[in-house]
Amino acid sequence: MLNPLRSEGEAFRLLLWIIAIVVAIAVVVLAVRALT
Amino acid sequence: MEAAAISHDLHEHHGPPAANHSSRVDPPMLGMLLFIISEIMVFGAFFTAYFFIRVVNGDQWFPFEGHHLPVAVAFVNTCILVSSSFTLHWAETSLKRNNRAAFKAGMLSTFLLGLTFLFVQINEYVHIGFAPHDFAQGSVFYGLTGLHGAHVAIGLLLLGIVTLRAFRGHFSPESHRGVEIPGIYWHFVDAMWIVVYFSVYVL
Repeated sequence: MLNPLRSEGEAFRLLLWIIAIVVAIAVVVLAVRALT
Repeated sequence: MEAAAISHDLHEHHGPPAANHSSRVDPPMLGMLLFIISEIMVFGAFFTAYFFIRVVNGDQWFPFEGHHLPVAVAFVNTCILVSSSFTLHWAETSLKRNNRAAFKAGMLSTFLLGLTFLFVQINEYVHIGFAPHDFAQGSVFYGLTGLHGAHVAIGLLLLGIVTLRAFRGHFSPESHRGVEIPGIYWHFVDAMWIVVYFSVYVL
């Protein structure tokens, strides 16, 4: 379990996770918009 | 002998007594934790306003009536801010490996990238073509991005201090709390921007 308040390294890894999740959602949203 | 021991004890305890730590969390980290949590709540309030006008009220979002948001410029700005988190992480890992040159280079590039982001954001406000009071969409746009910009400004102040201290030779691989905690704040600001950018410019 990532604890972003434990160290800067963990905060950075959580940021990477957030970027990955948001990009995934963006791809899905844009794909759905393009197809409908 | 006894008198010497007593005077030794008196010499040991000077200043106020140690503060009571009722939490097991390290105090500086606890301070940053509470601060970040409170700021997430503030952003939550602004996101509520944003989703209210789009979802509940059904207002048309940009582009509308000739007003549009510079999505491409904002995307480049997002890349700049994300890069600054990478350079900050590079700086801290370099410091842990006692590579002072890379630590200083990392901190300086982080600060400059953050400053660039802020200037691009301000330039965007100057040229965007609508004011916060023109329509609800404008108020929400300036509110959300402006709130984030204020956080970037605070982060730049912290990073500026850390960078100055880095160049003065402060911090060591064993003792770098003063880099770690502002670093956590800067990653929070970056993560928040990802969510703001996605909500305002992409959705």
